[in-house]
Amino acid sequence: MEKHFTDSRVKGVSTGTTILAAVFDGGVVIGSDSRASMGGEFVSSKTINKVIQVHDRIFCCMAGSLADAQAVTKTAKFQLSFHSVQMENPPLVIAAASVLKELCYNNKDELQAGFITAGWDKKKGPQVYVVSLGGMLISQPVTIGGSGSTYIYGYVDAKYKVNMTREECLQFATNALALAMGRDNVSGGVVNLVVITEAGAEHIVIPGDKLPTFSDE
Amino acid sequence: MSRGSNAGFDRHITIFSPEGRLYQVEYAFKAISQSGLTSVGIRGSDCTVVVTQKKVPDKLLDSSTVTNMFKLTPLIGCVMTGHNADSRSQVHRARVEAGEWKYKFGYDITADVLCRRLADISQVYTQNAEMRPLGCCMILVAIDPQLGPVLYKCDPAGYYCGFRATAVGAKQTEANSFLEKKLKKKPALDLDKTVQLAISCLSTVLAIDFKAHELEIGIVTKDKPKFRTLTDAEIEAHLVAIAERE
Repeated sequence: MEKHFTDSRVKGVSTGTTILAAVFDGGVVIGSDSRASMGGEFVSSKTINKVIQVHDRIFCCMAGSLADAQAVTKTAKFQLSFHSVQMENPPLVIAAASVLKELCYNNKDELQAGFITAGWDKKKGPQVYVVSLGGMLISQPVTIGGSGSTYIYGYVDAKYKVNMTREECLQFATNALALAMGRDNVSGGVVNLVVITEAGAEHIVIPGDKLPTFSDE
Repeated sequence: MSRGSNAGFDRHITIFSPEGRLYQVEYAFKAISQSGLTSVGIRGSDCTVVVTQKKVPDKLLDSSTVTNMFKLTPLIGCVMTGHNADSRSQVHRARVEAGEWKYKFGYDITADVLCRRLADISQVYTQNAEMRPLGCCMILVAIDPQLGPVLYKCDPAGYYCGFRATAVGAKQTEANSFLEKKLKKKPALDLDKTVQLAISCLSTVLAIDFKAHELEIGIVTKDKPKFRTLTDAEIEAHLVAIAERE
């Protein structure tokens, strides 16, 4: 989230966070850090999972108030599974993103959560969608979010290339998250990555001590 | 006193007749046979299989859009027999119930619970004067995480039960006798044997030599618990195997 929560009474546990998703040739990588903090001072969890599976090949990253984000993704998961059973086909990534968008927009007064949705479907292949706080939905090849994202816009703009290979994209995502976690005090912990392709979804966890180090470390 | 003011209405709405029968419910069962189709479900040792006839009465119909097999959740499938529209309504309700269960409780609904829920809903229709019972019968199949392969059936009366094998539809009595005879010795049935027994049941009882496109077969197995329907080629392979045995 772009806001820093200094008043922890307002929203309780929130995820100062870094989340990102990027499309590569044949799939997407979606990833996040794993820190949940309260008020920017207290780390309430070092190993929280912010990458939620909403369907076989569709994952969401959440940012903002954890409670709001969890409630929204739970509802989205339910609606999506029902939609998929009725259609007798796996849901499209845009369907998942639209469900989240509807929930965010219609409840914008109560909720404070934003999402990155990434996945693979038969119609359009790998895609990334951003649902912002107020319920805007756009599609982008690469996107970052959360409080830590402000520190890596330059890196992402400079280093992201279209049609990277899976290994290049994984390295790009790991570097970006590591850089953000290095500078943002409310992002940290381990790096949770999910690689989604036609073949399925693969989880990769990179613990803190295995993260790439940079010139200042 | 025994007639009261019910004169004649016990056949029109679901209230008791003087003999204690619910005529509307009995008529609902007759409606199932009206469709003219018969379905069979058999539980094997590591799989459950449902087979139904695929009758496409009109040459102009696109047969790929005609089906009586439905997926209720990725792991629970069903075959519907009876009124087409009522069937779809019940399938839709089942899907909603399964989805809401997952949302509320965080884990997948099991076939027996889903069957019970649908049976309870059907029972309400037998008490409400304003709603008629549905003229369809659902056979559910799944691999239960604790119980293994299961086969359940729920009918318009609101009765449900688990079965080793069962048949529904126009020729259900004959089919049930056939199944009773074949399963009397409790044989061990693997996937192929279960499918072929189900197909033989239908062909014997209906005296039809089936072609692949005249059957719909849905299976769940322990290694692949996701409900799926067999392709025409797979059905053909089973038909050939049955023919070679005879």
